[in-house]
Amino acid sequence: MRIVHYVNQFFAGVGGEEAAGTTPDVREGAVGPGRALVAQLGSEYEIVATVFCGDDYAASDASATEELLELVREASPDLLVAGPAFTSGRYGLACARLAAASVRAGIPAVAAMHPENPGVEEAAPAPVIESGKIGREMRASLQRLAGAIEKLARGEELGEQDGRVGRPPRHNRLADQTAATRSVELILARLAGDRERTEVLLPSFGSVTPSAPLEHPEGATIALLTEGALVPMGNPDRLESARATRWLRYPLDGLDRLEEGEYQSVHGGFSTVAANADPHRLLPLDVARDLEREGRIGTLHHEYLTTAGNGTQVATARSFGVEWAAELRQAGVQAAILTAT
Amino acid sequence: MSATRVRDDEQGSRTGLRLLIHDVVEIGVGAQTGFAGGRLTVGEREATALFAHPSLASVRVSCCSPGESVRIIKVLDAVEPRCKGDGGDVFPGLLGTAQLRGRGETHVLRGAAVLSAGFLPRAQEAVFQMSGAGAEFSPLSGTHNVVIEFEPAPDAAWQDVAAALRLGVLRLAVHLAQAAVDAAPDSIEELEPLSSESSGLPRVAAVTNIQTQGAFKDVLVYGRSMAGSLPTWIDPCELADGAVVSAQYGHPALKNPTFVHQNNPVVAALRASDEVELAGVILCPEPVSEKEKRLVSEHAARLCAALGLDGAIVTKEGGGNADGDVALKLDALEDIGILAVGLFAEMAGRDGTAPGLVVAPARATALISTGNYDELVALGATDRALGGERLGIIDAAAADELELPIAAIYGSLNPLGWNRVTCAVEA
Repeated sequence: MRIVHYVNQFFAGVGGEEAAGTTPDVREGAVGPGRALVAQLGSEYEIVATVFCGDDYAASDASATEELLELVREASPDLLVAGPAFTSGRYGLACARLAAASVRAGIPAVAAMHPENPGVEEAAPAPVIESGKIGREMRASLQRLAGAIEKLARGEELGEQDGRVGRPPRHNRLADQTAATRSVELILARLAGDRERTEVLLPSFGSVTPSAPLEHPEGATIALLTEGALVPMGNPDRLESARATRWLRYPLDGLDRLEEGEYQSVHGGFSTVAANADPHRLLPLDVARDLEREGRIGTLHHEYLTTAGNGTQVATARSFGVEWAAELRQAGVQAAILTAT
Repeated sequence: MSATRVRDDEQGSRTGLRLLIHDVVEIGVGAQTGFAGGRLTVGEREATALFAHPSLASVRVSCCSPGESVRIIKVLDAVEPRCKGDGGDVFPGLLGTAQLRGRGETHVLRGAAVLSAGFLPRAQEAVFQMSGAGAEFSPLSGTHNVVIEFEPAPDAAWQDVAAALRLGVLRLAVHLAQAAVDAAPDSIEELEPLSSESSGLPRVAAVTNIQTQGAFKDVLVYGRSMAGSLPTWIDPCELADGAVVSAQYGHPALKNPTFVHQNNPVVAALRASDEVELAGVILCPEPVSEKEKRLVSEHAARLCAALGLDGAIVTKEGGGNADGDVALKLDALEDIGILAVGLFAEMAGRDGTAPGLVVAPARATALISTGNYDELVALGATDRALGGERLGIIDAAAADELELPIAAIYGSLNPLGWNRVTCAVEA
């Protein structure tokens, strides 16, 4: 079986954070963890090529997945294996997006990462196999992944017992009873002692620990971000007002203020009258420029990032978060003010 | 009112509400309003006159029935035609004084609805159709509908337009029901008064959250907004007489039209069960800040405890923000020993693999799914459309074949449990 393996710049041996902007590339045969993976598999399995990319490039460049998929196609594999990405968000997203694109393009794929990696939510229709949290757990992670690969090779479906994580797809259908009638049946079951019955399993969102305050804000580059859907008047790039699928960037260079009539909020979840009358209510450029002039912060990042946080699915919002973090890190930003509405 | 009192006295202490049900099987616009043999005729001039208001330039009255090739877009509200049989008004606080209702007799045109459709600011475009692919996702594809389209007066303030339209729709709902007051009802529903004595069955209430987000996203209780209020207990018979009226035009799939408050589905399901005792409805506002959401949730739980409840069914109105109101109440209730079930629509992504809830309870676990908001639905083309020429969300002609997230289908994922859509892993 011909396998193409995808890893990030670190596991490809190119470098650490300083090389996170590395563009997509390919090496013949197995590299790094790929060698250990092959050792776990039988002799009929071969890693014919290793495709890799820097984490920042993969997570923030819109064309990255397509470029990587092209490199995968050129090696004409029977299977794409991506990761393990452990808990690395950018790496996990890259693995998930490439695996999903690969399956859609007709090449079977499997990704490996920790269940809390945001990539888990983006891998469908490709399966995700659980890995450990950190690289030190590589060996056990590869063992589980090898088992899953062998099962895929036999044409079998992967399930929980193989370490498959993520939610199986759920689809709308018409029930026999209304939701109200079902709710009465459910409360009766609960009153009768059944504490397990439910139609929706609780999600686990994990939690984010805020970073420590900047020690030297006067030397830092600070970015302004908003989910308040603030865009130039007329919404030239047609940002959605609800269920946003993308985010946008607009320049702040040379701007001291956001004048009324030049910007608008297209957010569908609140009355935008006050924000349109004074766009600084969403993006505090006025006071940020004051702080910059007074030397209390270093420089303001030269553009702001915006999306509409209204009815946005959690998986999309998490991906935006990873993309923004990669984007800002690449741009040398140390801190960001994200306004929420 | 005096007639009611006399009869109540004759019947001893009975103070429930009697619904006189007239089944509507056919509908049409005609010269004069009338109801005979199940056919409801909407008098065009009489109906139009009910919308005379300085903020409305004109209205147009149309009808459509199940199976007709009609799509309705930009749906704003739906109201079931009802009127009192013995004096007094339904929709108290809007059509009459804000006095307690829910006693005596109320005539109901079952199988009919009055709808308003057209542009209002902050209204998210709601769509459904009476036949063809996708019709099955809205409960209103099964009713005979009177649809009111409107033209605002030049320079009228949008809030005044919305208020004038709302009053007109309520008046028309009453006007149509009045055509049936002399007809013998097809059936009678006695909504028994709630008992203060325990029947020995588990006592369960409907905790009904209503949206309170200002103009165009508000719900009126006896004619006023609940924004800033604490939860209150209400007799379900009051709901049946129109104590709660929607002025909320966001979230097509996730809004509770006036029709659904008149026929609160959770209340109806609790009434229909002989294993529980209906203990009334707790109406709760949905504030926007977390601090206030917590305060309202704790007060709701306290009220439920004071009512001696064993269980509560908690519902919402609106999108992800409103998940928080349900989640906090479920936890607050279960923390004090009242078992709780919550109804949620899921936002699980187009392929249904993302986590469905924006805010999930920490401890309560019994949840009902009213369907996945993000999944696409194909709608077959229709011969005609009401409510507008074009659908802005996907920039298509109103009657075209199209594909939309089910989130845009009016009433499809109704948070009060009106509909049958659910979301599940394929077997």
